[in-house]
Amino acid sequence: MSSTALQVGLVDERGITASTRFLRRASGWRVWPNVAKALGFFAIAAIYLPLVWLAVMSFAATPLSGIPYPLTLSNYAQLAADERWRPPLLTSIWMSALVALCCMVIATMVGRAITRMRRPGPVLLLTLLPLFVPGLTMGAALFIFLRIMMGFTLGLWSIFVAQLIWALPFSLLLVLVVASRFDLRLLEAAEDLGASPWRRFWEIELPLLRPGIFGAGIFGFLLSFNELLRSLFVRGVETTMPIYNWAMAASQQSQVPIIFSLATIILLVTLPIMGAFFWFLFVKLDQD
Amino acid sequence: MATSALTRKRTTLDVLAERLSPARLAVPGFLAAWAFFVILPLLVIVVFSFFQVRSYQIVYEPSLATWQSLVDTGRWTVALRTLRVALTITVIELLLAFPFALWLAKGCRSKTLKAVIITLLTIPFFLDVSSRIIIWRSILGTNGMINTFLMWSGLVDEPISWLLYSEFAVHFGMLGASFPTMVFPIFIIISLIDDDYINASGDLGASPVQTLVYVIVPMALPGILAGIIFTFVPLMAAYVEPQLLGGGFVDLLGNSVDSALQQLRYPMAAALSTVVVVLLGLCLTAFMLLTRNRLDLSTIFSALKR
Repeated sequence: MSSTALQVGLVDERGITASTRFLRRASGWRVWPNVAKALGFFAIAAIYLPLVWLAVMSFAATPLSGIPYPLTLSNYAQLAADERWRPPLLTSIWMSALVALCCMVIATMVGRAITRMRRPGPVLLLTLLPLFVPGLTMGAALFIFLRIMMGFTLGLWSIFVAQLIWALPFSLLLVLVVASRFDLRLLEAAEDLGASPWRRFWEIELPLLRPGIFGAGIFGFLLSFNELLRSLFVRGVETTMPIYNWAMAASQQSQVPIIFSLATIILLVTLPIMGAFFWFLFVKLDQD
Repeated sequence: MATSALTRKRTTLDVLAERLSPARLAVPGFLAAWAFFVILPLLVIVVFSFFQVRSYQIVYEPSLATWQSLVDTGRWTVALRTLRVALTITVIELLLAFPFALWLAKGCRSKTLKAVIITLLTIPFFLDVSSRIIIWRSILGTNGMINTFLMWSGLVDEPISWLLYSEFAVHFGMLGASFPTMVFPIFIIISLIDDDYINASGDLGASPVQTLVYVIVPMALPGILAGIIFTFVPLMAAYVEPQLLGGGFVDLLGNSVDSALQQLRYPMAAALSTVVVVLLGLCLTAFMLLTRNRLDLSTIFSALKR
């Protein structure tokens, strides 16, 4: 009787008796949730402590030493006096704005099409593929294909392509998150009521998709603004902000203080935008 | 009869007009362009490794010369070293991420805390990588933060030099950046597991660990695999960390690809990249075979709403 009762269980216990005792004892430990939290917060600290340290050291007289003392504003003064980082910054801003715009348009277009497909798998995989390809591999592949094989002159256009390849999959995911909640029957109702296709899109679908589309724009801008590895290989003679930072960090120690200050400023601009966006995504959209 | 013929005629015309309208062509057009800029370069780089460069001209004749020299010059050990480093970090991240993802998906009761953690894990995707990595120099260097602290507290007499410009430093630099890519897929898939399964397992007499091993882990497998792919494949092409923290002592695939390109040895760069592309292809194929019929789009997105 008892053996049949055991067999009713989810797992055939007879086969695992050796390990069962250990499993049961391990279950008794109440520490597991705390262990899990500790592991996660350790990893999050490994991400954020360096960032805090970066901000602190941008005020230090010798940023690559271990002691943030004496504190000084001289790095920022040096940054203000330096002219060389400005053209790359401008290039990056314009480039990222363009990438963001294209992300919004294309992600909306493809996202809408995907939600209406019977078998979206292949299209989705094709569009999301760049998420899986490491930056360096994509950059090297684009360089060999576009420059060596096709013989194109690389420049801003190829940086644009490289950054779009990186940013678009994320934007598409955001649009899809919103579009998959969208009830297609709303459009049928509008059609029955005589709305033209354009009006159905403009007055019903677009307002409902708007959070996803804006998100796609913000993600597109920030991803493109900080993209290094893909642009690095297809840059031609152009320089964006991350490429400038990279060149300074990799070759010239003397320029490091300036990068620290610049990165701190960019962080101070980026973090509130991200924070506000996520607040909107989690709090505001949840209330609706 | 007559009306049905009429409607049929109109629909064929309609279909033709619809097929050729700009709106209909936009998505296929985009997909074609996308394939041209994403798929084709990846295929080209594989094919290119079988060509050669002679006196600055590419010779389009299939040859194994590049692969031969990869073996002869011992460069293939770079691939092995990269594999070791990437696997080490992937295993560490999995051990860190799985318990945390489980807690985040099922244990964390506060919605606000969950949102804050998800935000914190997303932000790293948007940060400049070189400033984020180079700061480790100031933490791990011989007169960096850790050594200054160790000297001050009297734990060591002289600075520990292997902290920076070593494989240790490279590992440390990779640790933070690779964590979110492992957590997110596992978190999403565990959120999808219906609480009823977990409760049922408990009701049938399974202990929590048994529920974990026999219910949660098997159901979370697609997410675990996706996390491994998202973490492992980019690590195989890590470039910034070894370059800035390896100090020339840690030669990984990424650096080798870059230096081969600098020396205009394009087939060599292509061959080294092919290693990564093939690995990616294998991982994705395995993933799709293993998760066939188990995942569909709408369920993944419904997980994000919770």
